[in-house]
Amino acid sequence: MSRHSILPGQPVTALFLLHVGSMDARLIGLSVERHWKHSVRLASELESARVVLVDCDRPGVEAAFERLSPHPRIGVVCYAFHPKDHSQRFPNRVILGKPLNLEALPSILAKAAHDSARTIAAPSLRRAAPLTQPAPPTIQPGSEEPPRVPIVTPASPVPAVVVAAAPIVQAELQPQSGTTAAPPVSAPQADPPGSLGHGVQTDDERDLCGALEDLPAHPVHPLPDKIFFNPDNYLIGHLQRAFDQASSTGRPHLIAGLPRLIGVRLQPASICVTDFRDNQLRPLSMAQLPQTTARIVSASTLSHISNHGTTWTTEDFFWNVAAWAARGRLPEGTDPYQPVRLRAWPNFTKVFMSPHALRIVALWVRTWASPIDVAARLGIPQRYVFSVYASARFAGLIDARKPRAATVEARTATPTQPTTNAAPPAQQQQQQRPSILSRILRKLLNAV
Amino acid sequence: MRSERARHNKIIFSGTVGAGKSTAIAALSDIPPVSTEAVASDETAKLKRTTTVAMDYGVLNLPDGEKVMLYGTPGQERFSFMWDILSEGGIGLVLLINNANPDPLADLQGYLSAFKDFISSTAVAIGVTHMDSSETPNLENYRAKLAELGHHPIPAIFRVDARSRDDVAMLVKALLYTLNPGLIDA
Repeated sequence: MSRHSILPGQPVTALFLLHVGSMDARLIGLSVERHWKHSVRLASELESARVVLVDCDRPGVEAAFERLSPHPRIGVVCYAFHPKDHSQRFPNRVILGKPLNLEALPSILAKAAHDSARTIAAPSLRRAAPLTQPAPPTIQPGSEEPPRVPIVTPASPVPAVVVAAAPIVQAELQPQSGTTAAPPVSAPQADPPGSLGHGVQTDDERDLCGALEDLPAHPVHPLPDKIFFNPDNYLIGHLQRAFDQASSTGRPHLIAGLPRLIGVRLQPASICVTDFRDNQLRPLSMAQLPQTTARIVSASTLSHISNHGTTWTTEDFFWNVAAWAARGRLPEGTDPYQPVRLRAWPNFTKVFMSPHALRIVALWVRTWASPIDVAARLGIPQRYVFSVYASARFAGLIDARKPRAATVEARTATPTQPTTNAAPPAQQQQQQRPSILSRILRKLLNAV
Repeated sequence: MRSERARHNKIIFSGTVGAGKSTAIAALSDIPPVSTEAVASDETAKLKRTTTVAMDYGVLNLPDGEKVMLYGTPGQERFSFMWDILSEGGIGLVLLINNANPDPLADLQGYLSAFKDFISSTAVAIGVTHMDSSETPNLENYRAKLAELGHHPIPAIFRVDARSRDDVAMLVKALLYTLNPGLIDA
């Protein structure tokens, strides 16, 4: 965690939560209290802060920046789901991606505070420009003046991840996670960080499926750590424990210790109930929640959860929470070259769909194939298949009891088979009219 | 020579009385659906005031001017003679099951049996309606039933609200991808 991210002797950074949601404030407060005592302290007022934190996704962010106008020596660290978008709105701001990487955050706050103070000490560029829309300064040819804001480059390990609702977010840096900073003043036309430069990939896709590079078609060892996530460090791990305990005891179980409750009940119907709204559940699922953060408690009923709680089937709930935790990665221990099969379609009218999820599932319910093979057969990035795999595994839809013959068949599949090979012989007659199917599909995709 | 009806691209909507076939077609159709709803006079009257006595008909207009017909079969079994006629030449079957019926799993079995030949040459996607008012059987129960009936792989089966265009479109998309997972929206 972040407790060692600040060097001994470094001053404690006074942080003011200028524009953050109540849940973020609470969780960051917990992190300060439990882990950052020696590096960060929360300032009770703006005037006593050295750095402020701003959630760019919240309404009123411009007004928040206005409050900073009289305080040019205060550093500013912003965060957002789509840093790239906001970097255009707020050039020259450091904008971290959500979810935040709390391991790196204290040092980033310290750096922002230090840089801001240093910038003011030198002839100030920021002071002369409006805070909300500072004009990029003109750099004279040959100037070697260093940039005045921290520059995030693909090579520099930087923050990502936030947790809108995680008491403690441990560091698990998604190398491709959206972290960006405005173009440095010395290079206003600089390309965006490599982590954002994946062709036509949309911001949503990056948020939900990451941007991992594909693995080779043939098994490689060791596999890179970055393709895996440890479910025990996320909400999905807590949910799984609650589910297991509810299964073994026959009683509902709650996940306590979170800002709101989540309950699992298996009888008479297998459901999850939560007071979290959808827009809270997603960042919470993406955040790292060490096991000590929450605890599983038995309950006679789920009446602890308010009448406004949302009820999900456990399968749908687990699918979504796992997808958000996975972000295009596989659960630890998964062999991406091992053939498996989906035993059924998920309930796609209710669950999150990663790109190509319908195609992936349609193929995988009838074919024993590894995640790598499925991606190759459909000609799609592996991260989309990994997302479906992770969700399906926690939703209980993975069948790993492969017949020996199927293993051989799947392992020998040509990595770049044309997509039409995905269809079994029974479908061949249907492929005589692919155009009408494609056109209907396009109609539905465009219309819905 | 095939009949005019058989030569059209068409998707068949079938299922139990009150499952929402007419509603689903109305949700998806680009035209006001042609319906043959009439006041129910038999045991159906206990379930709903009107029912489809012949068929429902809607249209998906494709961008190139081509049309896809959406045919809804009448739910009552006494009209089952029409099912084969309507489904002739169809792309696939969207089957809707009313979960609030007394024995929806038996309904599922009955309809899958009735459309067995059609499904074997095309595909089926199943929507379970009214799950908000009747939680059981759940989707896992349906999957178990489908496996028991020898449907391997298990067809797509979703919880749907027949009034929701998104839900109905999802069923049709699943049907299309079942026919060809390599399909792209070209």
